[in-house]
Amino acid sequence: MAHITINQYLQQVLEAIDTRDGVFCAELLSFKHPHVANPRLQLSSPEDKCQQVLEPPYDEMVAAHLRCTYAVANHDFVEAYKCQTVVVQYPSLGGTFQAHKEENWALPVMFAVTLDLRIFANNAEQQLLKKGKGKVGDMLEKAAEQLMSCFRVCASDNRAGIDDSKKWGMLFLVNQLFKIYFKINKLHLCKPLIRAIDSSNLKDDYSMAQRVTYKYYVGRKAMFDSDFKLAEDYLSFSFQHSHRSCQRNKRLILIYLLPVKMLLGHMPTNQLLRKYDLLQFADVTKAVSEGNLLLLNEALTKHETFFIRCGIFLILEKLKIITYRNLFKKVISLSCCFSRYHLLKTHQLPLDAFLVALKMMQVEEVDIDEVQCILANLIYMGHIKGYISHQHQKLVVSKQNPFPPLSSVS
Amino acid sequence: MSREIHAKCFPSHCTRGGGRRQKQRCEGEAKSSVSVPRGTCMTMCPAYELRQRELQNRLHRFEVLTGTEHDRLPRADVSCTVKEYSRPAAGKDSTRATDLRPPDILLKTVYYLVDDIAASSTLHPWTEVYSFVFDRLRSVRQDMIIQRISGPECVAVLERTVRFLLFASYRLCGQPLRLFDSCINDTHLQECLSWLLECYREGQHQHQEEFQALSLLYNLGSAQAVQHVLELPGSVRLSPPVRLALAIGRAYVERNPVRLLRLARRLDFLQGCALHRHLLPCRRDLLLLYSHGHSSRNCRFPIQKLADILSLESSLTAQLCRAHGIHVGGEWVIFSKGSFTESLSEELQCAQMHRLLEDKQQDLTVSDIIHGVA
Repeated sequence: MAHITINQYLQQVLEAIDTRDGVFCAELLSFKHPHVANPRLQLSSPEDKCQQVLEPPYDEMVAAHLRCTYAVANHDFVEAYKCQTVVVQYPSLGGTFQAHKEENWALPVMFAVTLDLRIFANNAEQQLLKKGKGKVGDMLEKAAEQLMSCFRVCASDNRAGIDDSKKWGMLFLVNQLFKIYFKINKLHLCKPLIRAIDSSNLKDDYSMAQRVTYKYYVGRKAMFDSDFKLAEDYLSFSFQHSHRSCQRNKRLILIYLLPVKMLLGHMPTNQLLRKYDLLQFADVTKAVSEGNLLLLNEALTKHETFFIRCGIFLILEKLKIITYRNLFKKVISLSCCFSRYHLLKTHQLPLDAFLVALKMMQVEEVDIDEVQCILANLIYMGHIKGYISHQHQKLVVSKQNPFPPLSSVS
Repeated sequence: MSREIHAKCFPSHCTRGGGRRQKQRCEGEAKSSVSVPRGTCMTMCPAYELRQRELQNRLHRFEVLTGTEHDRLPRADVSCTVKEYSRPAAGKDSTRATDLRPPDILLKTVYYLVDDIAASSTLHPWTEVYSFVFDRLRSVRQDMIIQRISGPECVAVLERTVRFLLFASYRLCGQPLRLFDSCINDTHLQECLSWLLECYREGQHQHQEEFQALSLLYNLGSAQAVQHVLELPGSVRLSPPVRLALAIGRAYVERNPVRLLRLARRLDFLQGCALHRHLLPCRRDLLLLYSHGHSSRNCRFPIQKLADILSLESSLTAQLCRAHGIHVGGEWVIFSKGSFTESLSEELQCAQMHRLLEDKQQDLTVSDIIHGVA
């Protein structure tokens, strides 16, 4: 296979098209397949050869693919990207693809060539940036436009029966687009895509791999929109249904699932963190559970670069609210110990006690007004049952269960 | 048909404003990267447009030659007439060199609009000043887009535009919709801000810290704005204005309006304008939290204390409390979680609570504010 001649290769393509063998055809046009490393196929102008064997428009599509292998062999990704846009033109503009009315055997081909398009756009951009040319995101944005036109072809295929519908291609393309939009930081563009999938009657019938990817991205988006329940649902699905061999993917999912779970009151074990090489979270977890604001700030600063790169720094800062809750819980239980000894009322605490605790944690410029505000927020959120008496400068907590478990609040 | 619908549902993957700009750029590149139009018009308004508008009697009153105001067709004063914004349309050639102004003329135009119109003490009312300057600044941006202008002039134009729009969002707050549409102002402001921040990616810029901070304050609570700043080099991220803006953002995320309002006092005037639209919701939030936190029949809260926390006069504090269903009796407020209501009354407007900013403005002139001489 790896060292066949150009004629043998073209014959195979012809056969794949004639027998409508989408999977084989996709292999022959994919850069995951070894034929791309075959020097006999890496031609700078294969047009004539292709025309001799293949009908239009396949001849041009395959010729562009071979030119692309040539460019990749020369490490010229800008050229490779250009060639690949020609390859993808056929599925996106209709061409081959729309000519196959009421058929969808060519979907695997579209998957293969659009995947490569995204990868080349990425590589081309890196190459241009190294030379000081181009702008971040430009190439990927153009690639996204092309993927979008493929998506439109698929989404508008209303005539074919469900088995032959090109709608089966939607989720794959949506996932590719998500990858780009997350990379170039344009999350708002995901919204119409999510709507399209949510309203599709196929949404639970796509392949598990595609659904896992989809839920991962939608979960991340929900997290940035502060919809933590939804984020937990989607990311948990993604984590539980990832293939067990995909440790790297599971780790990626956890990077987002952990903060969300923590916000909802579930702390990860050290064992889990070690298993997935995520010990950056260890101190954060410890700090939050102990109500140690000082340690939390330290941990956030220490791993700042990692957290910022993953885009979770902000979410982790939200953990402060829970840390306050845990700290104040400690203050109350400590003073309970003392007061039992002194036979005082155990459910009334001077606000000063909290101020002292915050000052010990080196919270900047904090005063009694802020203590009241933090407490009011915790009461409002349901983390503390009780009320503040401004006149007596005291917090009065409920005698029963003043700190409901975190998982019951949200 | 379905294709059309999909084209509508999934338009471009670009942002609204940036999208148009980028699209024009892409299309231009596709045709040829050599033929970027270069303007040759050396006045603020192209001669052709000036004649046309004279003939059609479409001159703005700020543009008319003194002495001809009452003529049937007033004449234009060339030194005051500025190219107006006109929507791109099919069949209209907006790339004629004689109709486009080169960068230095564009910057001159902006200076004219700021110094002679926006800051003028004789032109009234300011809503009309605003709508004139708003439109003419828009046409300046249009000229920049068509000619793909970047570099220091572009940055200077955008910085002044952002300051102008921020100032307007405060000064015209509470004006009736037909005179000032805060939504449209916001759209343009966001567009200019994101364009400006994009420009900052290349090279060194004197005012970068100022505008990164303004962007954070104006977009308080936006994860994307904060993420953008977090990814900046330390020299910008750790500069005093950005640090203050980040601290205010943190107070917002932690839902600590007491700290937020306290930090807000340290802002300068324009930063205050940027944050201004968030202040009323923030005060409302504080009342909501306190209604729950201090909810007890036996408890009362001194109104003066509450006024201090809210940075408001006590009479306004009482008004604001009543608007939210909170009981006010003499010098005391009684919070109760059951009685808090979302304010429905229109009578209490943000514009009444501008004192914090009015104090900051003091003797800053409009042109100081927009040129950034603070």
